[in-house]
Amino acid sequence: MTILQKELLHELSNSVVEMDDERTTELAEQYVENKFDVYEGIANGLAHGMDRAGKLYEEEEYYIPELLMCSDVMYAGLDVLKPHLDYASTANKHKAVVGVVEGDTHDIGKNLFKIMLETTGFEVIDLGRDVPPIDFVNKAKEVGASVIGLSTLMTTTMDNMAVVIELLKKENIRDDVVVLVGGGPISQSYADKIGADGYAPEASAAARLAKELVKELKKSA
Amino acid sequence: MFTTKQRLRETLKGNKVDRPPCICPGGMMNMIIEDIMDITSSDWPEAHMNAKLMVNLTKGLYENGGFENFGVPFCMTIEAEAMGAPVFLGTKNTEPRVTDYPMNSIDEWKKLKNIDVTEGRAKVVLDAIQLLKNEDVPVIANLTGPISLATSLIEPTIYYKALRKKPKEVHEFMEFITKNLIAFGKAQLKAGADVLAISDPSGTGEILGPKMFKEFAIPYLNKIVDELNDFAKSGTIIHICGRLKGIYKELNDLHSDAISFDSITSIKQVIEHVDNKVIMGNVSTFALEKNTPTSVIESAKNCIRQGVNILSPACGIGTKTSLENIQQMVLAAKESFQS
Repeated sequence: MTILQKELLHELSNSVVEMDDERTTELAEQYVENKFDVYEGIANGLAHGMDRAGKLYEEEEYYIPELLMCSDVMYAGLDVLKPHLDYASTANKHKAVVGVVEGDTHDIGKNLFKIMLETTGFEVIDLGRDVPPIDFVNKAKEVGASVIGLSTLMTTTMDNMAVVIELLKKENIRDDVVVLVGGGPISQSYADKIGADGYAPEASAAARLAKELVKELKKSA
Repeated sequence: MFTTKQRLRETLKGNKVDRPPCICPGGMMNMIIEDIMDITSSDWPEAHMNAKLMVNLTKGLYENGGFENFGVPFCMTIEAEAMGAPVFLGTKNTEPRVTDYPMNSIDEWKKLKNIDVTEGRAKVVLDAIQLLKNEDVPVIANLTGPISLATSLIEPTIYYKALRKKPKEVHEFMEFITKNLIAFGKAQLKAGADVLAISDPSGTGEILGPKMFKEFAIPYLNKIVDELNDFAKSGTIIHICGRLKGIYKELNDLHSDAISFDSITSIKQVIEHVDNKVIMGNVSTFALEKNTPTSVIESAKNCIRQGVNILSPACGIGTKTSLENIQQMVLAAKESFQS
């Protein structure tokens, strides 16, 4: 790796953390002009920055507004890099189906989880909010998803998460997919109780957990 | 001997009473359960549009040994709907919710309607309060908090980003929202409500961080309380969701009589850091819905032991919660003065 590439990767990462979209776009263009490896630009530049932003969020240095700004900036950079991406390097991505369970329209946590999953290398199918349990199951079957992410902010709707898990069992695909649950009222004990595979208190930790659990899923398969 | 209303009023004023009242305000802090719908033959979603059914439900809960207050409405969509957001009224078990946002960018607030309290579900709420008005049981008026209302009118991610990108426009939008909330709150209190409760689940310290909480949440919450203080004869309550850890200091700046909070926040820590508020909380709604009556009593007693002045659920309760569990929670408060 040349010194210039290293510098650009470092700068890309910094400009995402610093929420500077113009600078990020400029850097991404410069990166492409130099014909550096685009996949690395995403993984070790933009996504690296987003990962740092996620850690700052965990450390309570950044909050939701900052995290959302960083993600916008990351996407601005992605818009520049993506068209130059070699198709082969994007193939064989694990797929994740995410959504807010039926009865709830609070989707901020789900949106963050989606961003973080994409950052860690998943292809994400977002079903949006207020999603009926059966839709998760059908979509996961259709795309061959490795992960289903269920989110809710409300106690009144969290039981729909258990419904999704029951439906997966009924369809005999429960063991093919990692089910992660999250949101305000959800806890590890609730996740255990309904038989979900994982829970994390916030989005970037949840995405890391998804990555680990998928590895194990593939191992045991 | 206190009446139910006197006990809550004196508690909110910071005076000594015989025991903590046990309340659930309504609004986002839902109190209505299926058991009560069945007992009173008044169901959701119809009750959200019908003052008589609304009254049956909140009165029915009180009369069957439930929380020691009346309170309407049972959702946080009245204001957003009156200002132009389409709302799905939900089912027997799920609450009404906004289905689309009337604004695409912050400056579009100028297109919004003002809340007209003489029509629609805003009027239903006022009619219900008039029917509920009485001498003995406190009636709680409920408002959706300013940031929660804002994020019911525009996609929350656009809103949260605008806090950084367009702070000036956001403040204009918040002024407009606050003016409308004051109008609806005043109408509820004039119709006969005794207490004002404001719940702001989207405007938490956990989401915004202390700096933005101070800039975008506190001033507007305070503006509402300041304007309505004289009308809320028995007092004012603000409920903030999520962990309060990062904003203990800021909570002292709120002008409400009471602060109510989530079960993930420790009562002891709030008492330690917030010295000018009546403390209300925080029986886990999860425990209320899923646990046995015996364990609910334990949770309630634990809250009282830790020092809450008002015993209440930590958030809105699920409709599948049993009446028995609520009754036991109220009993725990009633019996607490003996111990």
